[in-house]
Amino acid sequence: MTQVLSTLLSHYQRHPGQLIMLLLGLWVASALWSGIQAINATARDSYARADALFDTQLDQLERRDGAPLTRAEYHALRQAGLPVSPMLEGEVFTQDGTRLTLIGIDPLTLSSDNPFAQADTSASLSDFLTPPWQTRLAPDALVALGIERENASGATPTLADGKQLPPLILSPALPPDTLIMDIAAAARLLESSNEITRLVAAPGALSEAPAGLTLTRATTLASPGQLTESFHLNLTALGLLAWVVGLFIVQSALGLALEQRLGMLRTLRVLGVSGRRLVLALSLELILLGLIGALAGIASGVWLARLLLPDVAATLGSLYGAGVGQELNLPWHYWVGGLAVSLGGLLLAGSGVLWRAARLNMLELGQMQAWRSGYRRQLTLMSISGALASSIALALYAWLRLQSPGDGLVAGFGLIAALLLASALWLPPLLALILKGLTHLARRRPLIHWAMADMQLQLPKLSLAMMALLIALATNLGVGSMVGGFRLTFLEWLDQRLVAPFYLNAPSEQYADIDAWLAERPEVAERLLTRRSEATLQAASTPEGSRSIGTPIELYGITPGKSLTPHWPLLATQQNRSSAWAAFSKGAIFINEQLATAENLSPGDQLNLSAPGTNETLTIAAIYPDYGNPSGQVLMASLQLAARFNAPPSSMGLVLSDGADVDALRAALSKRFDLGSDALRDQREIKRIATEIFERTFTITRALNALTLAVAALALLASLLAQARSRRQQLAPLWALGVPRAQLAQLNLAQLGGTALATGLLAIPLGIAITWGLVAIINVAAFGWRLPLYLFPWEMAVTLATAVGVALLAAALPTLRFWRASPRALLAEEANQ
Amino acid sequence: MLELHQVHKTYATPQGPLRVLEDASLRLAAGESLALMGESGSGKSTLLHLAAGLDLPDQGTITLEGQNVALLPEPARARLRREQLGLVFQQFHLVPSLTVIDNLRLQARLAKHDDADWAGYLIERLGLTGLEKRYPEQLSGGQQQRLAIGRALAPRPALLLADEPTGNLDETTAGEVLELLLSLVHETQCALLIVTHSLQVAAPLDRCLRLRHGRLLDAAL
Repeated sequence: MTQVLSTLLSHYQRHPGQLIMLLLGLWVASALWSGIQAINATARDSYARADALFDTQLDQLERRDGAPLTRAEYHALRQAGLPVSPMLEGEVFTQDGTRLTLIGIDPLTLSSDNPFAQADTSASLSDFLTPPWQTRLAPDALVALGIERENASGATPTLADGKQLPPLILSPALPPDTLIMDIAAAARLLESSNEITRLVAAPGALSEAPAGLTLTRATTLASPGQLTESFHLNLTALGLLAWVVGLFIVQSALGLALEQRLGMLRTLRVLGVSGRRLVLALSLELILLGLIGALAGIASGVWLARLLLPDVAATLGSLYGAGVGQELNLPWHYWVGGLAVSLGGLLLAGSGVLWRAARLNMLELGQMQAWRSGYRRQLTLMSISGALASSIALALYAWLRLQSPGDGLVAGFGLIAALLLASALWLPPLLALILKGLTHLARRRPLIHWAMADMQLQLPKLSLAMMALLIALATNLGVGSMVGGFRLTFLEWLDQRLVAPFYLNAPSEQYADIDAWLAERPEVAERLLTRRSEATLQAASTPEGSRSIGTPIELYGITPGKSLTPHWPLLATQQNRSSAWAAFSKGAIFINEQLATAENLSPGDQLNLSAPGTNETLTIAAIYPDYGNPSGQVLMASLQLAARFNAPPSSMGLVLSDGADVDALRAALSKRFDLGSDALRDQREIKRIATEIFERTFTITRALNALTLAVAALALLASLLAQARSRRQQLAPLWALGVPRAQLAQLNLAQLGGTALATGLLAIPLGIAITWGLVAIINVAAFGWRLPLYLFPWEMAVTLATAVGVALLAAALPTLRFWRASPRALLAEEANQ
Repeated sequence: MLELHQVHKTYATPQGPLRVLEDASLRLAAGESLALMGESGSGKSTLLHLAAGLDLPDQGTITLEGQNVALLPEPARARLRREQLGLVFQQFHLVPSLTVIDNLRLQARLAKHDDADWAGYLIERLGLTGLEKRYPEQLSGGQQQRLAIGRALAPRPALLLADEPTGNLDETTAGEVLELLLSLVHETQCALLIVTHSLQVAAPLDRCLRLRHGRLLDAAL
């Protein structure tokens, strides 16, 4: 067996380029896949740690006006027999500027089944409760504190404000960037002697919220893991795509290595090596190469994940408020899984090689003839498989049409995958058909005729790379158009929502006075007060009947002033915009698209909303877009919200008259109401921050897209380099017959460029279909809102240029080698044919 | 027609310079046929490649139809090859992507000397009638070499250069192919230079030269 294996491997000694391409394909596929999985695994670990703490395990009590609770209120509730526990939450900054969440708890009053109360720590409870207290934190928070893990236990690092943390105790189960300590120690650090952020209680321990407080049941709190599921599914889909494209390189390299070793394999069979032994040796070779490629890929994947993790963490934080550690935390199954996926992919890509080796005919001599008919069979098979994949896509589309909007995330991805697969499978038969037609048309132009006929011959070796290019281009166009469309919509939406040039943030109890004062100021043309509150969406009445829901819902109040209503975007109204706004001013509500999608609601339906002491049934007058918000929202006129739900003011938009002196107004406001300098914020600044967050959200998408395209270019380069020698053998006789080398080199580039252009042209409708799938199915299912479908002719032109550019770039090296080959080298190719 | 004057050719090899041709001179008149014989590695094929402008001499001149091949730029040499020369190789070198008829007319079309009647006549003479739509790999070795001869003669070249044209064929087929080649050369009145180590191939030709260690010697058959 060793002899057979070393004979097989000797091929790569003569052709190191093929070995490099094979390992490169495996490395790239494995690196991108394992990189994504490393990010997902770290994020999931962070969510699991957050879930295991308090956020989603306990019922929560907060003041209805949003102000902090006081110790007196807590003591009063305890004396009334309510089993509540205080929690103080704030932020502290380390010396390097990292923000850490500080949570102060009282373990004695926390329910005994809380995971934190049961956490295995080395210190006793009394050490936690008494000075100098303890700081419990996860090891990944140590980096921000500038402490090595081995020196962590008992260390008392200093914060940016000069205060010292109590001695550190490591608790790996805690969420990232979170410090837990006794509430007394936390109060000292946060300089908050009397305040309590919220009260928590064991799930179901309180039958109703005490007066003035809102009770949020643990069961209705969505965990970060649930919220971010679709984001990670998107990432996984992109990783899978890169993995598939990487495997195209592997398949190309393996196919070529087999083609060139057919003679060797036949000789080995003739020399007495059994078919089974040969397949076994080839399998061993695959596993050996697979292990090298996969290990290198996983190592690079971890590096890639480290590089991308800060952007992903920022995205998840800004989109969902989910905290993700910046340190990779990879479970054992990540490593095993990565290896298994890489090796599995290799065996999948290599199964064709093993199959052919197993069926090797020792006496097969008419290779070209067998190959020609074999390729025709392959084209037929591809056409049939493509038809099958498109039937699956059609069936999924029909099924999705029957579902309510927002359902079918996995089916949506399945539809896109089936579309990509169908198009990729149809590409070689389509190109073969086009080339056949062009060959016929170019009969009177001998060189073009040859070029077309020759391209037909090259197609089998290039088809896999072209399929990879098609998939990468279409995905690039699809995702690019989706992101571009999203950007346009988002910016337009920001312009519509943020109509006031300035926004005032002040303590809620001051708004009434500020409003009265501003009403007297001539430079203030309009005051757009907003309010926020929460309620439970108890039931919905639709034409189909009434159904109970029981979901917590955000209430948002706006002032329907003359500056705001003409611009505020509405997706659907009962009659028209003006009647919707008229109804709104009288107490009707608008709901966001997320809520409409999730609960299948339309204008005209009625919602029953309850809050402590209030129960209102209100009519939906319109549905509005609310991009970036993961949850449902009900919009009401600010006055109505105050009257019906006692909602406190949250901010105020100020429309100023022409020539108003903003600085003077800011100064007067600050002086009159003792407000900070940042209380009056410029709308442009808010838009800039929002846009920055938006751009950062798509950093990883763009990075993965570019990497996938790069992998496709590599696949093409691998195929071209792999067949460069045989290409020179085919070109040399033509050169001998009197076609100048320059002309042959140009023809070679034109052949590749033309084929890539055809592939790019096919990628455009496919890319549009993918954009549609993303905005109309995936986005609705993942986020609850639908984006308008935007098409960008410029993006399409870039796709075509990229296709041709990638092909020319990949063809440049082999062409240059042909161009620079000495006449003797070409003659040697010719003699060796 | 073709004249080589004091041609030298040396190749650099890992073992040092390899002198392949030394002071080689020959002359071939229009319509004349010449056999060039010699052992393997004696420089026969190099001489033929130099005559075709596929390679350049280190010293000496090669004149083809009055033009010094060594002084021509590559595009001009390429043009000379496609318009004035026909080349037949031992390995046939047919284009696998083209059918029999397209292969046969390829060089004639490139040279813009395509003549459908002449191509049809050649197909008939070469015994390839009925096989026009086939691809090269669907032909026997003898048929492939006959097709290669047809391709070389299709543009009606002034000089046909053949490198071991029957080297890949069995004795009977080789005889048939050679007979056909000579008959067609006679019909077209083109000059013929054949590189061979076979006496049977050299015998029917007008003259024979022998190459030994890179030097040309007259040979008596």
